[in-house]
Amino acid sequence: MFRIRSKSKPGVKMLVKLTPKKAFNIPVEAEVIKPGNFAGKGKSEIESIIVWQGNKEVMLGSIFDVEVEGVDDKDKKKIKILIEGDASRIKRIGERMTSGEIIINGSVDMHCGALMSGGKIIINGDADAWAGREMRGGEIVVEGNASNYLGAGYWGAEKGMRGGIIRVKGSAGNYVGEHMRGGEIIIGGSVGLLPGLNMSGGKIVIEGDAVLPGGEMKSGMLVVKGKVLEMLPSFRFEGKEVLDSIELKKFTGDLARGGSGTLYINSIPEV
Amino acid sequence: MIITDVLCPFCGDLCDDIIVEVEGNKIIEVKEACETGVSKMMGHERIAAPMIRENGKLRETTYEEAITKAAEILTNSLRPLMYGWGSTTCEADKKGIELAEEIGAIIDNTTSVCHAPSVLAIQNVGLPSCTLGQIKNRADLIIYWGSNQAEAHPRHMSKYTSFTKGFFTKEGRKGKHVIVFDVRKTTTAEVADDFVQIIPGDDYRVLSALRVILAGAGDVVPSSVGGVPKEKLIEIVDRMKSSRFGVLFFGMGLTQSRGKPYNVANAISLVRELNAHTKFAVMPMRGHFNVTGFNQVCAWSTGFAFAVDFARGKPWYNPGETSTVDVLNRGECDSALIVASDPAAHFPRKSVEHLAKIPLIQIDPCPNLTTELADIVLPAAIAGIEVEGTAYRMDGVPLRLRKLIEPVHLSDEEILSRILSKVREIRGD
Amino acid sequence: MELLITNGIVYDPINQISGEKVDILVKDGKIVSGVKNPKTIDAGGRIVMPGGVDMHTHIAGGKMNVGRMLRPEDGRRCIESRKKLTRACTGYSVPNTFATGYRYAKMGYTTTFEPAMPPLLARHTHEEFRDIPIVDKGGIPLLDNHWLIMEYVKSGDMDKLTAFIAWMMNATKGYGIKIVNAGGGEAWGWGKNVRNLDDIVPNFDITPAEIIHGLAEANERLNLPHSIHIHCNNLGHPGNYDTTLATFDLVKDVTSHNRQVMHATHIQYHSYGGSTWADMHSKADAIASYVNSHDHVTVDPGQVMFGDTTTMTADGPMEYELHMMSKRKWTNKDVELETGSGIIPIFYSRKVSVNSIQWAIGLELALLIKSPWKTAITTDHPNGAPFTRYPEIISLLMSKKRREEVLKGVHSAINKRAIISSIDRELNWADIAIMTRASPAKILGLDKHGKGHLGIGADADIAIYDISPEEDDPRKIQSALSHAKYTIKGGEIVVKDGEIVAVPEGRTYWVNPEFDGEATKAMLEDLAVKFKEYYSVSLANYPVQDAYVPHPVEIKTRCKNAS
Repeated sequence: MFRIRSKSKPGVKMLVKLTPKKAFNIPVEAEVIKPGNFAGKGKSEIESIIVWQGNKEVMLGSIFDVEVEGVDDKDKKKIKILIEGDASRIKRIGERMTSGEIIINGSVDMHCGALMSGGKIIINGDADAWAGREMRGGEIVVEGNASNYLGAGYWGAEKGMRGGIIRVKGSAGNYVGEHMRGGEIIIGGSVGLLPGLNMSGGKIVIEGDAVLPGGEMKSGMLVVKGKVLEMLPSFRFEGKEVLDSIELKKFTGDLARGGSGTLYINSIPEV
Repeated sequence: MIITDVLCPFCGDLCDDIIVEVEGNKIIEVKEACETGVSKMMGHERIAAPMIRENGKLRETTYEEAITKAAEILTNSLRPLMYGWGSTTCEADKKGIELAEEIGAIIDNTTSVCHAPSVLAIQNVGLPSCTLGQIKNRADLIIYWGSNQAEAHPRHMSKYTSFTKGFFTKEGRKGKHVIVFDVRKTTTAEVADDFVQIIPGDDYRVLSALRVILAGAGDVVPSSVGGVPKEKLIEIVDRMKSSRFGVLFFGMGLTQSRGKPYNVANAISLVRELNAHTKFAVMPMRGHFNVTGFNQVCAWSTGFAFAVDFARGKPWYNPGETSTVDVLNRGECDSALIVASDPAAHFPRKSVEHLAKIPLIQIDPCPNLTTELADIVLPAAIAGIEVEGTAYRMDGVPLRLRKLIEPVHLSDEEILSRILSKVREIRGD
Repeated sequence: MELLITNGIVYDPINQISGEKVDILVKDGKIVSGVKNPKTIDAGGRIVMPGGVDMHTHIAGGKMNVGRMLRPEDGRRCIESRKKLTRACTGYSVPNTFATGYRYAKMGYTTTFEPAMPPLLARHTHEEFRDIPIVDKGGIPLLDNHWLIMEYVKSGDMDKLTAFIAWMMNATKGYGIKIVNAGGGEAWGWGKNVRNLDDIVPNFDITPAEIIHGLAEANERLNLPHSIHIHCNNLGHPGNYDTTLATFDLVKDVTSHNRQVMHATHIQYHSYGGSTWADMHSKADAIASYVNSHDHVTVDPGQVMFGDTTTMTADGPMEYELHMMSKRKWTNKDVELETGSGIIPIFYSRKVSVNSIQWAIGLELALLIKSPWKTAITTDHPNGAPFTRYPEIISLLMSKKRREEVLKGVHSAINKRAIISSIDRELNWADIAIMTRASPAKILGLDKHGKGHLGIGADADIAIYDISPEEDDPRKIQSALSHAKYTIKGGEIVVKDGEIVAVPEGRTYWVNPEFDGEATKAMLEDLAVKFKEYYSVSLANYPVQDAYVPHPVEIKTRCKNAS
């Protein structure tokens, strides 16, 4: 057994610890893992919650050792889920989460925190693609790296992330904040291709480098504090501005689509 | 016997004016088709009989045994993958989709590794397009981008574009301007009026530059973009605007280079914006003769064009996650059924390695590299030669494939239908 | 199988039965006068009607499928798993084929007509028909922009025109003549449009008025069961009601055997006054007044409902205009020698003045047109809203109270620029039975082929709704119409308690006009040239093969005064 340590948020009344039993290749789809869904449930009830692995339904208890501490709590805000181990084949953790907290001491598979509107997810590892997809509120912290389509939209949809905040300590893949409309993404390292693609609101700050930032940008703010390795030919240089005590070059675009987004960059090749 | 108006089951142009002579259930002559089409229709080495791999070697068996084994594998899989469908009929596609739904599989077609970016781009920005006859009759500006159709679609230029005459294009080649954008001077570029060479991976930037010039903000464009001088870009935009009817065809040079779907979306957006000035259309140059047909059938029966995951009963579409190469690279699937395709020859090494690890079922008329990895091989009749059925041309025009000679083997549709019955039998439905 | 439906309150307007307790007997898929050993359904005082008939719904073919491919974000809505009998369902405004069949059946509908089949792509439409379970179908080919049609109308060669239309019905397995923005499709081939009935179609020296009149005459010479089915020119433009009235007037000299000579569809989009979007207002009263005083025109409203949907039409230039206004993703597809189409998502917002007025106009038309026999309930699915919103629309038409509830939340422009708040009329169940069954069947000419009524010999397509005529709570009405207690299709129970219990394949209606005059030979020579020189497919591969219509219902007609 474990205890709710004093370090935990004072508000936490119920702690659910999930320890993966073994590694597997076929991913588990576990959007059921979110605080609101565990409220009012005991160990055996949580163990018998159904998740999908491939085309079969299995019980959560066959994937994880489940421990529950604290009194049942109908107040979803005070529930904390701790995944103690590797979840890199567990998709959709915290999808549509509204409140409470999830901590993963390991990496997570795709769609972690997708469509979440409240609460907090801390990933002490890497996040696979589509973390925070179509996020509306709340907070995601990735201590490692994030993959492609961080805080992005769904295929065909015109609105991606609309609110909340995503912080990645490491780097992120391609298309960060694709179709972003609100909220904030902060990347400690570098990103791949086309961050802020189709963005129409919100703010992305990249501490490291980026390639072709701001394609199809309509509005919103995109900051690249490292190097822009390649620049689009469809942004207008507006002059220099000091932002967070660094002098940055300010551009507007993407003019290819008549956009008026703001792109701040530190250095670019040959402009 | 001479059969006219035959459809050629080779490329996405789906020519329907082929003349075939048949004698004694054998095709002895093919006229009007391109070389590749003739070669395909004249016949290849075939798989002689159903086979099952035992102790590392394929041994011949009956359809009954091979189909039963295939059904057992699929029924017992947690995450089966069904891939291929480029060169078969829509009737087979339908049966395949029904089977995928039944067994909770991922079903995906060759679109996944060629024009998936086009589908994704269309979902982003749409597709102002038309049928090929519209281009034949009207187009005076023809652009090929990253598409060497002189080799991939040999009759394209003579039937629909550069070298044909139509109602409003009576002058033929003389009245048309042809531009090729590519990273190297292809055979298509040899016969163009203009060849624009782009630095590999810079398609997106060149397209953005063209659009920003079109939008009237060309002053921000640097002196050269992607290896193309600014003056050239301005000249091209002027030519586009002053054409009466322009068309932009794009191939895998655009869809598979850096930025994939967003290159395509950028190209489509350029065409869309040109419609404020003149009539302009855009069209993906689809490869296999019925790769488009699978997308059509899959869209009307599942709601999505490819990469559909039926694992949870409810279809989930998410290319990048549910697309074949991604599923294989992650080692997610535990069995695969390959129909009318040769992934072992074309997929990345990591994907092929996973295919080699899992139970693999192949349905195909001809032996190929995938046969060497397959555990169960089901020979099939050739669609469009031995089996009739529906195919969709690259522009979405549906036509009926002819049956020219009697088949020795079962059709893809029949094999899939029998697998489906066997699956239901095993599951006790 | 035999059925006896007893204790139902039957509305069968074609047979003058209006809310009476009548037994209905079914044998071998038809309504009969006697049965021996039937299964009995006790309707328990609930409402019984013929199966619903949707005369204008874009359910199948190139456009709808392009819509599905364009909108995975719509596809992921309303998803249902595969069940023992039913395939997986997806989509709200662009549902997959299976969902389309099941959802219609659940609403008690058994017949659905796709009103925009591009001839070159007709095979596609029929392929999708095969995968729409349960309901019967028909497809109306788009003919007005066809080069040969325009050439024959221009030269005044009625015989060849008639011969070509007859050939087209066979080639497309089509049901009638669809006209969309006459002449505009060809103009759109050059990025242009025609606005008025007297504008010249570029390069063809012909006007929309001439095309419409010529096709109306040919339609009557061929004795087609349905009249010309027209999407008027000038759709969606402020002030377009003038064009609409002029279009009606164009064909008043044309005589038909015993029905309208023109069905003008989704007339809501054609009933606008004003000259800009700022002063656009309802002219539903002018349109309704014309329809009330003339018998040669029928209309359906094409009701707009608030929310997200997908517009799709053969009116390519109109879709481009919509794109230029909303800048949303836009697909266009021109079809060589024939027609075109455009597809774009749309969101009708109750906070937007124009959308609120559009919502009002549809209802106004349905309420101001006095005779329900001159109209039908449609949303021009999915243009105004998906067909699944019909029950809600019916509840609005039946309840002024419900309309007032909605009116509270819409844009205030509706008070000055629409008429809806001044209309007190509430439709009754007999009106609804006419507008959702009897009238669309009659307008299509299907009443003579067993649709839209429950007389002896009619198809045993029957809906039983879990509501009695006295119940007037609009929400109850909506819920009862959404989930039929029973839907019976061709004598088979397909829906019970709102759930699918059987999935027969539907049939496809098509018209085969007999026309063997000399003109056919001459027409075929002209046609051969079109294929040789201009089409991208060969003539031999063009006609839809029988394999695509596995359950055909062929309606033969004889041509009047064929030469």
